[in-house]
Amino acid sequence: MAAETVRPSGAVHKPRRRMHPAVGNALKLLGLAVVLLWCLFPFLWMAMTSLRSGSAAITEPNIFQGPFDFSNYREVFDQGFQFALRNSLIVASVTTLICIPVASLAGYALARLPLAGKFVILAATLVATLFPPVALVNPLYQMYLQLHDWTGISLLNSYAGMIIPYVALTLPLAIFILATFFAGIPKEVEESAKVDGATPFQAFLRVVAPLAAPGVGAAAILTFVYATNEFLLAFSFAPNDLNVQTVPVFVGTFQRVGYENPIGQVMAASVLVSVPLILFALILQRRIVAGLTSGAVKG
Amino acid sequence: MAKTQKVRVRQGLGERAMGRIFLAPSFAFMAVIALFPVFYAIGRSLYDIRGFHQEFTGLDNYLRVLSDSGFFNAVWNTLVFTVASVSLEFVIGMVFALIMHQAFVGRGVTRAVILIPWVIPTAVAAQVWRYMFDRNPGFVNSVLGTDINWLRDPTWSMVGVISADVWKTAPFVALLLLAGLQTIPRDYYEAAKVDGAGALQRFWTITLPLLRPAIVVALLFRTVDALRMFDFAYIFTGYSNSLATLSVYAQRYLIRDPDLGYANALSTVTFVIVMIVGLAFISRLGRHMVGDVAGKEK
Repeated sequence: MAAETVRPSGAVHKPRRRMHPAVGNALKLLGLAVVLLWCLFPFLWMAMTSLRSGSAAITEPNIFQGPFDFSNYREVFDQGFQFALRNSLIVASVTTLICIPVASLAGYALARLPLAGKFVILAATLVATLFPPVALVNPLYQMYLQLHDWTGISLLNSYAGMIIPYVALTLPLAIFILATFFAGIPKEVEESAKVDGATPFQAFLRVVAPLAAPGVGAAAILTFVYATNEFLLAFSFAPNDLNVQTVPVFVGTFQRVGYENPIGQVMAASVLVSVPLILFALILQRRIVAGLTSGAVKG
Repeated sequence: MAKTQKVRVRQGLGERAMGRIFLAPSFAFMAVIALFPVFYAIGRSLYDIRGFHQEFTGLDNYLRVLSDSGFFNAVWNTLVFTVASVSLEFVIGMVFALIMHQAFVGRGVTRAVILIPWVIPTAVAAQVWRYMFDRNPGFVNSVLGTDINWLRDPTWSMVGVISADVWKTAPFVALLLLAGLQTIPRDYYEAAKVDGAGALQRFWTITLPLLRPAIVVALLFRTVDALRMFDFAYIFTGYSNSLATLSVYAQRYLIRDPDLGYANALSTVTFVIVMIVGLAFISRLGRHMVGDVAGKEK
């Protein structure tokens, strides 16, 4: 490269062409930097803001201006944020634990077993993924009240009141992802198990299920993320009881407690929930990408 | 004895019976918890319900929807939000996907980082953006050198909420499109280059057509998600008309202004609108996606 540039002026054209890949590479790196900056800058703002305290925090837009301390974090815990974290973890885990086994059975049946009207069932599953949760909020709320009148069981302000609709709303996508994964497992593997004397159910349990583990993992992660993210139903069914309130509701309704600008506390709570979720995403990224793109790119 | 038992075990469950048994729990659950409430909502929407008083009023609630300016305002807000955010997400997501596809180093890192906005709960992202836009301390205003009341002004709050949504989901679109780009054979581009096609020409004649399935899927998910959006709008401006989407408007009559018959009419109308748009998409790509699973079975 250096040899090119010191050539006499007659070869102007050539160095410029040789420069091209370097410029191109620099541009590519710059592009990546833009993508990274896009994804990360709000987190820098969030983290810095969560550490600022005093009057400067609510009047001075420069996030690098102190004083800095952990007072916002202390206050968030004083207000019971740890309970919201616990509640979200419970609701999301139980939703996943119910949804995935049930969806695995259906996904396997759709991918492998002889069924009448399979195409229609798959199409219906796909349509069900479009279901708008708001169409569930109003009737379920009244059904919960009605159930309370009849049986004394109250699903409002309870884990079950959230978990039940979450399972219903996550099942279609989980079934679809799992069916795609099951359909990708070579049929011969299963046949040979049957030749060796396994029943269809044994073939499913011993041979197909372990091979489908990546797909099951992907569907489980997406279900878990959906349940940690959900706001509308949680906010309508369990708005302010800290025994059951989830993180999105805790964070999302924070400004409404009649408090002086709680920017620092909201950001402290946001950091506390973002850190574990970001680690979760980075560790499981392969599974997540596989789940998100399954069915989307075939053909 | 041993032999007969073995035969019985091998029979196990017939495949047909097993198929039905495997499907039953999922579909029974969805029927009770998702489908039944839709019909229940239709039934309740025929009543005027205030507290303990209820009275059958037929289609009155639907007539009221049709003459309710708040409802049409919500339709308009939803439409503006959906069209603006989905098109921006698509363009930016496409640019990001092309950047990542071209990259020779750092693609793995970027592909991991790009998941971060996706995994953050929408309510948390909404609060972060809401406070970035807030006049106090006024981060966005200080960056742009403006003095806009982002959370009160109807137009600017819509701009704010669209920016927040585009930030959160453009990376998700990029991920879907990147997966699609990776299935296009490199030889196609080499051949086109040999034939003298420019970069833009290669994009129009190779990338876009071959990426079509991934594009349609990304647009389907994003459009339906935007149509049913609640979190960003509610957290930015509460129930205020300036941002109220269909979801916000329908939920408002549940708890804040309890009027359950009307709430159910609004739920039903929203359901119908979202499903019509979704079905329009699915009828275009459903065969492709569904056939993929059903076809492999043979």
